[in-house]
Amino acid sequence: MQKDNLILSIRNLDISFQTNAGAVHAIRGVDLDLHRGETVAIVGESGSGKSVSMKAVMGILDKNSVVNHGEILFTYQENGTSKTVDILKMDRKTIRHTINGRHIAMVFQDPMTSLDPTMSVGKQIIEGMMLHEHIGRREALERAVSLLDMVGIPEPEKRIKNYPHQLSGGMRQRVVIAIALACDPDVLICDEPTTALDVTIQAKILELIKKIQADMGISVIYITHDLGVVAKVADYVNVMYAGNIVEKGMIDEIFYDPRHPYTWGLLSAMPDLDTNDERLYAIPGSPPNLMHERPGDAFAPRNIYALNIDDRLMPPMFRVTDTHYAATWLLHENAPKVEMPPELKERILRMKKEAER
Amino acid sequence: MRRYIIKRLLISIGTIFVVILLLFILLQLMPGSPFNDEKLNVDQRAALYEKYGLDQPLIIQFFKYVGNMLRGDFGVSYTISKNTPITQLLQTRLPISLSIGGEAVLLGAVIGLILGIVAAIWHGTVWDTIATIVSVIGVSVPSYVFALALAYVFGYQLNWFPLLYDMKIPLQSSVLPSIALCMFTIASIARFTRSEMLEVLGSDYILLAESKGVYGPKLIVRHVLRNALIPIVTVLAPLIVGLMTGSLVVEKIFSIPGIGSLLVTAIQSNDYNVVIVLSFIYSAMYIGIMLVVDILYGVIDPRIRLSKEGPHD
Amino acid sequence: MTDIQNNADISFLPGDFELKGAENTKLDMNFASQRFWKEAAMRFRKNKGAVFSLITILLVILLAIFGPMISPYTYQQQNIKQTNWAPRVQGLENLGIFDGSESLKTSTGTKLKNAYVVDKETGAKNDTYYWFGSDALGRDIWTRTWTGTRVSLYIAVVAVLIDMLIGMSYGLISGYFGGRVDSVLQRFAEIINSIPTLVIVTLLMLIMKPGLMTITIALMLTGWIGMSRIARAQMLKLKEQEFVLASHTLGASNFRVIFSEILPNIIGQLITNTMFSIPNAIFTEAFLSFVGLGIPEPMCSLGSLISYAFKSFTTHPFQIVPPVIVLALLMLCFNMLADGLRDALDPKMKEM
Repeated sequence: MQKDNLILSIRNLDISFQTNAGAVHAIRGVDLDLHRGETVAIVGESGSGKSVSMKAVMGILDKNSVVNHGEILFTYQENGTSKTVDILKMDRKTIRHTINGRHIAMVFQDPMTSLDPTMSVGKQIIEGMMLHEHIGRREALERAVSLLDMVGIPEPEKRIKNYPHQLSGGMRQRVVIAIALACDPDVLICDEPTTALDVTIQAKILELIKKIQADMGISVIYITHDLGVVAKVADYVNVMYAGNIVEKGMIDEIFYDPRHPYTWGLLSAMPDLDTNDERLYAIPGSPPNLMHERPGDAFAPRNIYALNIDDRLMPPMFRVTDTHYAATWLLHENAPKVEMPPELKERILRMKKEAER
Repeated sequence: MRRYIIKRLLISIGTIFVVILLLFILLQLMPGSPFNDEKLNVDQRAALYEKYGLDQPLIIQFFKYVGNMLRGDFGVSYTISKNTPITQLLQTRLPISLSIGGEAVLLGAVIGLILGIVAAIWHGTVWDTIATIVSVIGVSVPSYVFALALAYVFGYQLNWFPLLYDMKIPLQSSVLPSIALCMFTIASIARFTRSEMLEVLGSDYILLAESKGVYGPKLIVRHVLRNALIPIVTVLAPLIVGLMTGSLVVEKIFSIPGIGSLLVTAIQSNDYNVVIVLSFIYSAMYIGIMLVVDILYGVIDPRIRLSKEGPHD
Repeated sequence: MTDIQNNADISFLPGDFELKGAENTKLDMNFASQRFWKEAAMRFRKNKGAVFSLITILLVILLAIFGPMISPYTYQQQNIKQTNWAPRVQGLENLGIFDGSESLKTSTGTKLKNAYVVDKETGAKNDTYYWFGSDALGRDIWTRTWTGTRVSLYIAVVAVLIDMLIGMSYGLISGYFGGRVDSVLQRFAEIINSIPTLVIVTLLMLIMKPGLMTITIALMLTGWIGMSRIARAQMLKLKEQEFVLASHTLGASNFRVIFSEILPNIIGQLITNTMFSIPNAIFTEAFLSFVGLGIPEPMCSLGSLISYAFKSFTTHPFQIVPPVIVLALLMLCFNMLADGLRDALDPKMKEM
């Protein structure tokens, strides 16, 4: 991953929400990179802040959100020259005109509610096109037909006139993908694109996105809580907890050499038919209430490997390799040598053997 | 779409039929109705027999009755104005009521929509609070209180508008009554528009539209409003009913010679014929409005027109 | 967060890097669960408009009960020599308001007239007081207003309660049994719904003579449909859920399931709908009385009072003010109360 291929760079992003019950500190200093052609995954439980950070990139944060500090640098080509902007400094109108749809597009989680029920599928696809490009309606519709074809919808000429409620969930999600691709964006953000779908359709949608990525050279960010999905699609993984990235690395590094106890928990919690465990492992407790900030590591209350310092100071990112970092005091030179749980070790060995075959 | 309209039409006609049937049965049971009056003399009785077929089985009577109605022959008034054909009574009164009611609906809907949209878009600001207060007052305070207040201030004290309806200056005389009538409509529509738009604004497909780059008026009109209109249109039918009842009061306050005051007089003087006919007219209007609303639904919401069921299921 | 390898700028404490031990993990301390009603009550109390409305309504009810009692007059007592006297209140009259004078618009200009004055020279007034004034038959408006409020409230509450019972049962049964029962019941309701309330009420007026009973029945006949719709919708939504199935599995009969399992879940909406129906009922009664189809004289309701006072609207406008204000207050407050209740029992989380 060369540095000059860096197209999206989030630095020190910090966001809070104003609610009736107080301020919710949702994002607490996030750094994230995306390079051209790469597939980056953001993994975490509900409430970890995965969607919020990506909404910040798209400029579609809720009105009661406050960006405390940070920058989101996006690099794109315009008229042959390379341009870099800080999305956080742009006003919504400009983001809508220049970025949304055109350079960064988003696929949402629930296909049953993300399409406008009163607009035909074709019209929804060409809406973006007509906004951003100077093409006529007929040409736009032709492009829409070929897009529908590309995402694997049969009889696309007929489907153009259909309304969302006439399509199944899987087909609707394909339409959402087609809408996202309509203006040939550089970046595709997929927010849990398969969570709301059947397992069989999940695989197909993931394949579809992979294929599109290869064909069109798009960079993809996947938001998901499902490590299975991550294993299939990601090049680089960011693990998020309580508004922070707690571990990040290449996919092999995360799966075969995880360092943060939370990542251990996530990996252990993946159900696996070969495991001889008598109990299903689950990370104890529930995600923290982001309204109450406690000093130190937010994960400490649920962490059986917590150190005393975790109650005082938040751990910084420690370097494991040039691409692999984890934010846990366990990686400090003074920390006791803690190894991942033996069941997890076994599982990883098994995964490795499978992969080699 | 056509199938949908036809289905709705048939149901409407069926319902009107049932209503006429009910009214007819009532007429049979009333003393003093044309069918039952002992005080008729021979000629009157003969005329009635011929017209309504009173010597024939009830079914035939019913159909004759319906036939008469459809032909526009509503019978005569008995007590209000002896032997005057009701159609004559209606001739002058119906247009007056309809025009005032129509003004109120139009005014109410337009102003209400605007208020509601403003409140939703500038949600949480001072405009929102103002709009909400106006709506709550408009909905809670009965139309005749408004009518009284308006009549007192603008009619009595300031003398800008006539206190009593004057046929010679219909436009001016209808200002105060229309305003009084439409307050409720404005408030209801504004309230509903605001809450529906807020709900739509929080939905996923608006987020998707924004992520496509749709912004500003285009977003509001094409995506938000269009989806919010569906429940707003639902509210129209009960509003019309409110207008009907409101009109009775407003007509009394401003002495408007419309069908509302006719109805009140008819009830008080036991003029059954007139009451029945007016009931029929009101029912027919209401059913008609519901039909129009249903069709509007089909136009706005493709889910309705492309499925087999109607919006009320 | 920046990566640091050197920890020179952080001071460590001894014992920092010791394991806390698995027993020290604290779990699930984050979201204290509150009981549903407690939360709802909290939300309600925050809504100033709703609280204000509740207090106002209670005040009005108190006045309706005690108002006529503290007055020396009864609601039908007439004094022909004291007709159309302006309001006069002890104490306040010394401040210059409510002192029994009214300005009359005549063809020659406005005149100040005070009916309480017995001696034109000295301006001395007699010993009678009418707090809201007297009407065209010499009856005390204060007493009549509060008696009228009693009647209006009574009608509204009775009608709404019965509506709730009928509508709720109708909707619950229709939704629960579904299938043909549902279709038939719904068609029937739809037909009744297609006839405007006005028509039903006027037809009732034809059959029965205007009076307390008639109005109550008229209200009952039309208001239940809204309630039944809500009950049915809730029933349809809930009957597929598992706790109903569980109840059946335990052997509960249909009746029991309907009323003890599903009902508690609907209470919130029912209460709200009831609160909304009350101003509707008050309005309908008032409007009927206003057009002369309501409570017969000398009994009074707010509507009939307004109707009566309307006749002297241009000459003695003060007569119409008390009942109008009470009516408007009642309707406004019930509406706001209902709004507040709805928000408290079913909040829409707009943030987060």
